[in-house]
Amino acid sequence: MSSTSLRSGAQRIVGGLEAAGVTLAASVPDTWIGRLMATVRESRTIRAVDAAREEEAVAIACGVGLAGGRGAVLIQNAGLFNCGGVLAGLVDLYRIPCFFIVSYRGDRRDPVYYHEPKGRVTEPTLTAWRLPYAIADHAGDLAAQVGRGVEAAEKSRGPFVLLISGEDLE
Amino acid sequence: MTARKPLLEALVAMLGPDDVLVSCLGANSRYLPHLAVTAPVFALCDSMGAAIPLALGMALQRPDRHVVALEGDGSLLMCPNVLATVATVHLSNLTALLWVNGHYESSGGQALPSAPVDWASLARGFGIANVERVGDAPALRAAFPRARAAEGPALLVVDVAFDPHEPIPPYSERPDEIRARFRIS
Repeated sequence: MSSTSLRSGAQRIVGGLEAAGVTLAASVPDTWIGRLMATVRESRTIRAVDAAREEEAVAIACGVGLAGGRGAVLIQNAGLFNCGGVLAGLVDLYRIPCFFIVSYRGDRRDPVYYHEPKGRVTEPTLTAWRLPYAIADHAGDLAAQVGRGVEAAEKSRGPFVLLISGEDLE
Repeated sequence: MTARKPLLEALVAMLGPDDVLVSCLGANSRYLPHLAVTAPVFALCDSMGAAIPLALGMALQRPDRHVVALEGDGSLLMCPNVLATVATVHLSNLTALLWVNGHYESSGGQALPSAPVDWASLARGFGIANVERVGDAPALRAAFPRARAAEGPALLVVDVAFDPHEPIPPYSERPDEIRARFRIS
């Protein structure tokens, strides 16, 4: 068994954020994101910030980026749906790199029935909003998937969304 | 009630190169290119409600700089929740000025919903202890140094006159120009 497989998915994701130079993670939790943020809070290099609403988290992360750091946004897909305005009027308009980790509630891996409507519209919304995205694969190198997402945001000077499921954190 | 420009001029005269100024969309962002501002300025022309959290992110990243956010009452009415976040993070290098004129000035001067908002009490209720209300330039000159020196974040509630005929200059900088020029040394 490799050392990587001894670590939880949440630890591997946070390790990827650390390796990518992320200095702050702004978040509004759901069950899955809350578990991931618990691991973020153990990081020595990433500051965890709890926002009251998702648009705030996006602006906070952008402020970090404009001030020389790297911010990330950790929210649920329902929260991402709240962010259309700030994505268009801040991230896109000013071309600010912004990396998102978004819990993909309601996809086929989610056991909770009431998330299904959100799951049905998540990828169509990302596509309609022209948000580049990837779906995390916990069988692969999660840290590398995070790193590629952060770099994609930096390179494009725009958003990149990594969709995760609860099983990616185990 | 005092017009916006003398208040804005009084504020920027108190800022230096070690400060950072983040402006909400509308009149503040439109006036700032015409004023002598020595602090780096990030001026929004869209995204109502983003000025304070954007400034919060900068203040978190750069504790060696004092970050000043300008926000309007119409914008904050959309997302007053940010005051809770500001209170919780509790940075002493963040001051917000809330410009209260009761109107959506940029979109044609429509009145805000008519229920009066006691912004100072609201901010204190969210947990921001350093709150003052100012109504003219001398009061702003007195209050801003207190806000800057406060332990924890500060909010100045600035009562400003609404004049539908005020000759506010148009936006004179594009977002890509603002983004390219913005640097915190």
